[in-house]
Amino acid sequence: MAEFDLELDARGLNCPLPILRAKKSINELSSGQVLNIIATDPGSVKDFQAFCKQTGNELLGSSEANGEFIFQIRKA
Amino acid sequence: MTKRLKAAERRASILAVAKILFADKGYHGVSVDEISARLGVSPAVLYQHFPSKEALYEAVLANISEKRDSFVSAVLDGNQDFAGVLKRMTHVFISSIAHDPDYLKMEILSALEGADAAKRFFENRWRSFADYIEFNLKELTQEKKVDPVNPKVASLMFQGMIREALYDTCIVKTERYRELKLEPLVDQLVELFLRAINYRP
Repeated sequence: MAEFDLELDARGLNCPLPILRAKKSINELSSGQVLNIIATDPGSVKDFQAFCKQTGNELLGSSEANGEFIFQIRKA
Repeated sequence: MTKRLKAAERRASILAVAKILFADKGYHGVSVDEISARLGVSPAVLYQHFPSKEALYEAVLANISEKRDSFVSAVLDGNQDFAGVLKRMTHVFISSIAHDPDYLKMEILSALEGADAAKRFFENRWRSFADYIEFNLKELTQEKKVDPVNPKVASLMFQGMIREALYDTCIVKTERYRELKLEPLVDQLVELFLRAINYRP
């Protein structure tokens, strides 16, 4: 797993809660730092793509295993 | 490839027409002959795609109940306080339903018929509100920004208000409430909800 600076556990939360909490977590980071997010909502894949597109943060990668979705976002 | 695409298009057109008819008349009010006639094809063509009327109805319900709104913009397009996000989420939701009132009819029908799809309608549409309200009210109660309230009761109250507003303005269109337009009505209902929980940002 890639290195990260902060982790957000958004398991069990449906849109928009993962996005809302990710935004708050990213606010705590400095530019260039990475947030790792664990989610279970299948809709989070499209949501985090849209989130990064709209905020300018970089979606470094995403993966899925056993019903969990992992995202790494680098703060712009 | 072309043949497969045509089959997919045909299936999509069957689902679209069946949705309109089922939404208007319910499962028992529509026959395969009526759907076929509306499509301008023989029932045999319809049976190539769906083995029975029941299978077609299930496919319509599955198709429509999987529809899901994105609330990413609702989070990003303004401040992220509880009330602001809730208002914007609600507007995304009602706008989506107002453009497709058949969705609401099918949701009601599936609930009356006890179909499994009723659970999917909740999971894909209403659960976002239930989760958002319940999760935030737990935090806001600890921060003393709302009066103590059962979060599940509050989320049911909210869903009931919005569903009734949609039901009346998009389907029933009662004369008594005709002057109430959907968007300002929903704004007032959200304000009433925030007052009911005594939200203090």
